[in-house]
Amino acid sequence: MEEEVEKAVFAYLRKKGFRLTEIALQEEQTRLSSDASSLSRSESDAAKYYDGYGKLRSWAYNSLDSYRHELLRVLYPVFIHCFMDLVAQGHMQEARTFFQTFREDHEMMHLRDLQKLEGILSPSHLEEMELARLWRQNKVKIRLCQYSYELLVQYLHKTQSLAMLGVINEHINFEVYPGQPASMSDDSEAVSLIGASQDLAREINQKELHWGLLEDSVEERMEKTLSESDKTEVDGNKEADTEDNNKKKTDGNKHSTAVNNKKKKDKVVGATGKTIRSESSMVSVPPRVKPELTLPQFPPEVEQSILEDLRNRVQLNSLALPSVSFYTFLNTHNGLNCSTISHDGSLVAGGFSDSSVKIWDMAKIGQPGRASNPQGENGSMQGMHSLASDEAKRPYSLLQGHSGPVYSVSFSPFADFLLSSSSDNTIRLWSTRLNANLVSYKGHNFPVWDAQFSPMGHYFATASHDRTARLWSVERIQPLRVMAGHLSDVDCVQWHPNCNYIATGSSDKTVRLWDVQTGNCARLFIGHRSMVLSLAISPDGRFMASGDEDGTIMLWDLSTGRSVSPIIGHSSCVWTLAFSCEGTLLASGSADCMVKLWDITSSMKALKTDDSKSGPASRLRLLKALPTKSTPVYTLRFSRRNLLFAAGALSAGS
Amino acid sequence: MSIVPKETIEVIAQSIGIPNLSPDVALALAPDVEYRLREITQEAIKCMRHTKRTVLTADDVDSALNLRNLEPIYGFASSDPLKFKRAIGHKDLFYLDDREVDFKEVIDAPLPKAPLDTAVVTHWLAIEGVQPAIPENPPIEAIVAPPDGKKMDHGKDDSLPIDLKLPIKHVLSRELQMYFDKIGELILGRADTPLFKDALLSLAKDSGLHPLVPYFSYFIADEVSRNLNNLPILFALMRVVKSLLSNPHIHIEPYLHQMMPSIITCLVAKRVGHQISDNHWAIRDFASKIVASICRRYGHVYHNLQSRLTKTLIHAFLDPSKALTQHYGAIQGLSALGPSVVRLLILPNLETYMQLLDPEMQLDKQKNELKRKEAWRVYGSLLLAGGSCLYDRLRLFPGLLSPPDILPWKTNKKIALTNLPNNKRKASSRLTAHQPPTKKLAVDPTGTNSQFPSTDGPATSSSSGSNPNHHHSHNSSNNNSSSTGNITNANANINNVSGSGAHGQRVAVSNVLRQAWKEDLDAGHLLSSLHGLFGEGIFSFIQPAEMHCFI
Repeated sequence: MEEEVEKAVFAYLRKKGFRLTEIALQEEQTRLSSDASSLSRSESDAAKYYDGYGKLRSWAYNSLDSYRHELLRVLYPVFIHCFMDLVAQGHMQEARTFFQTFREDHEMMHLRDLQKLEGILSPSHLEEMELARLWRQNKVKIRLCQYSYELLVQYLHKTQSLAMLGVINEHINFEVYPGQPASMSDDSEAVSLIGASQDLAREINQKELHWGLLEDSVEERMEKTLSESDKTEVDGNKEADTEDNNKKKTDGNKHSTAVNNKKKKDKVVGATGKTIRSESSMVSVPPRVKPELTLPQFPPEVEQSILEDLRNRVQLNSLALPSVSFYTFLNTHNGLNCSTISHDGSLVAGGFSDSSVKIWDMAKIGQPGRASNPQGENGSMQGMHSLASDEAKRPYSLLQGHSGPVYSVSFSPFADFLLSSSSDNTIRLWSTRLNANLVSYKGHNFPVWDAQFSPMGHYFATASHDRTARLWSVERIQPLRVMAGHLSDVDCVQWHPNCNYIATGSSDKTVRLWDVQTGNCARLFIGHRSMVLSLAISPDGRFMASGDEDGTIMLWDLSTGRSVSPIIGHSSCVWTLAFSCEGTLLASGSADCMVKLWDITSSMKALKTDDSKSGPASRLRLLKALPTKSTPVYTLRFSRRNLLFAAGALSAGS
Repeated sequence: MSIVPKETIEVIAQSIGIPNLSPDVALALAPDVEYRLREITQEAIKCMRHTKRTVLTADDVDSALNLRNLEPIYGFASSDPLKFKRAIGHKDLFYLDDREVDFKEVIDAPLPKAPLDTAVVTHWLAIEGVQPAIPENPPIEAIVAPPDGKKMDHGKDDSLPIDLKLPIKHVLSRELQMYFDKIGELILGRADTPLFKDALLSLAKDSGLHPLVPYFSYFIADEVSRNLNNLPILFALMRVVKSLLSNPHIHIEPYLHQMMPSIITCLVAKRVGHQISDNHWAIRDFASKIVASICRRYGHVYHNLQSRLTKTLIHAFLDPSKALTQHYGAIQGLSALGPSVVRLLILPNLETYMQLLDPEMQLDKQKNELKRKEAWRVYGSLLLAGGSCLYDRLRLFPGLLSPPDILPWKTNKKIALTNLPNNKRKASSRLTAHQPPTKKLAVDPTGTNSQFPSTDGPATSSSSGSNPNHHHSHNSSNNNSSSTGNITNANANINNVSGSGAHGQRVAVSNVLRQAWKEDLDAGHLLSSLHGLFGEGIFSFIQPAEMHCFI
């Protein structure tokens, strides 16, 4: 076929008398064919890669102890590029054997990448696969100390292994620093250099970040008034304390449903917690910043209720652990995808694979007369449903509208609205009062993995398979901002408490922080080794926690963009994270059926004393592990009074 | 090259109607197919994560296909994980067990029950950081484990006292109360119904019963003391105890001290049930088993558990004023604790006890038939205890089952006391003579034993009346072997040099016995002494192969 074309071309050229062009073309062709013959010669090339890498590897493993870990870092990129070179040259068989032979070395650090790359079987796959393209296009940067670098150069010169030299020259940038090699523990950066180029990350992370809290927030006003009214309040609380204690005894055994009870208990704990407040009062007051979005004002009665809650807040710390109320979803038949709990714990919503969203009102569940009194004041809504009687029997309100599995649900701050995102590419806004759909937001082109209301309401952020995160206002059906930059699915999204930033976690193993005003990436956090599944930002806005598929939880300092302490927190996916209201505790919920409570203050203290380095001393401290009865924990939420709500679906396997 | 072989491609091509796919095409397709498979799998895993699962289902693969704008694969609609079966004869070939369904059957079948509707229930996972012991929470054991790690972390054990307070703090839920009442009713009234069996199963399996344990232990103690005459109830109570003990979710240790007295009562009480009509032996046996299992399980937690128990039992055993039924219970209890307990506690007292028991067993001395029966029971249990102890020894030290040459004289104690001395002298002289060579002759005794005719294994039981004959023959064989190669002496020598010292004292049988007890491992002596006390009966505890040397 190609020859025919060529013949036609030559014939055409001759006919038109383009002699010079013909000669040029012929020369071109001979060169091409010689290339082809060189390709056949390159059978031995494949062996060169194999031998070259094998020698480099054994050399690196036999190098001096203090330099070895630095030299070993070089191996992984060289390994990947050798493999991809082999694939690109068409030596499938050799590439396979090469990969299998040396795979083991890197499994510990890069298992997931290896699993992906393993699938590459033809040059076209190299083009197609995101990860491979990234590797090909970006240069890997490796920090080496002076001497390690010299050692490496010497070795490459001595052995004359051109294949290795080529790979290293082409794909690795060395950043040579004087002095002694860095210690092993600083390796985390060196490990995770794939994906985005390190330079970009550094550049992004040098931007200024206003992580402080909002000016004139309710909390701030609260703090002010508190200092004035503290005395009278404590007296009042003492009385309430004894009274509540009595109540607690009488209804201690009926805790199953009534939310009232919980509140009472909450209050009791609050009163006791108050006494400790003096000692554990805020160490540092976070700076205040102006909002970049126009934020809605809370109505006065809402503000009142918040103030009430704040006044009754329990002080949590490593000695005063929270009470945890667990909502178990029964009979979900593997269909529950997500759940959320309103701030006061009275509403629980679940999103299901059968496209439905269900909301349970926990205050109503305990009431026996409910069936006879369908929907109360919402009775007028009943006419809309054809199965009114059916509706009345259900203990929950069923919201139907999506046409695909619902992947996330989120309540607005006062639980009057509910957002749900689904695999049908839409996000829907529901009214919990009307039990009806209000808006359907279309904009994403692929399933929307996550949707989160802003802490002040009105705005919400979404994350999708289309690799973007978007910012929306409830009033517009078009997104206000599109945050693009992640290299793979954006899996989770979380608001900064000051509403000026949103954080997103992605399958590309990075977490990004975006400025909502400009839509630019404000921080890039590299360090996770697998898909990021959950995010939480501390209430003072300074720290962010992220949990991944492997059970690792990382704590980040937003201002510096550095990791504070990576820990293997769980043995399986960390589905959810939540900070307590003062930011002293971090709760994590996982697929291993555990709720774990971590001490943040101690690790922060360690950070302050030893600011330059984040050694193992500043690890998160596990305060308590609370196992559930074969119920993976999907959602965690601290109420404003610091009661911890958790939700999960009982797995059928038990 | 790729994990999808080109044959697979060819087979699939044929199945979709492309009969002659060129091998090149198949070869080129194979790697691409693998790549696509991996791609879909990767997407499917993403979908799986977002549905908050850790097990990949067919739905996830469908969603992944959906993401790629591909048609889902129909026919795998179940949301449960698929169950693959291994093809017989192939190591790595799996298939879905997809049976053909007859439409008619499906239509005729009654409608299946509608699945239960989704519901939400709440409970306290923790109150101020402490998990309450309620059925909704995992059982205590699971909770107790983490504090260790926590203590290691920062050296605080402030949570421990709170943990201990837990049972007191807890108030019994209505459901548990009903459960408890129901069980109590079953025990007292309808222990023979199948419902009671279900109840026992529930007690043995259900989690969340922990709050009831104190109530049960109190109930059992109370009812045992009240119903000592009512055997069925006692039995039911013991079965409840057994079920509770076997429940893995129950943390029973703190309540053992309440339960133990009731169980021991059932074991060694003077009168259990109506003596004549009821089979009170059975409940003693049952209780002894429970006691033994408790010791096995909690012995390491309570170090003095077994010692206290054995003290109680041995006290009952050695007190001649106690009734024979009590002795029986004590013996059963001790022997259930294992052969080493029997060896240490029963056997040293066996001889004296037998002297006590002997008259009770004989028709002429004990006129009361009931008493005599009891005595025989006790005798039987002693025989069993001794025998199982012996059996255990023999099993542990097969080298020791040689026929010890002392056997004849001791067994002759009753029958042929007179000819004992000269026999003995002969033997000892023989021994001293042969001592040096025997060391070389350490041959496997069982191997040599097989020279003897092996047919009379069962015959021993029939020859119970002909003790003297039997031992004579044994003696002679012994002499024969010693004269030829002397294998048996080699075995005798296994019980070390002290043997010769012991030989000198054999005139007084009790001395020999004492010596024999000192040598713990000496099964030969054990056997001989037991034989002395029980006669032929003891042989049934020896494996046939080992018997040959006595025949």
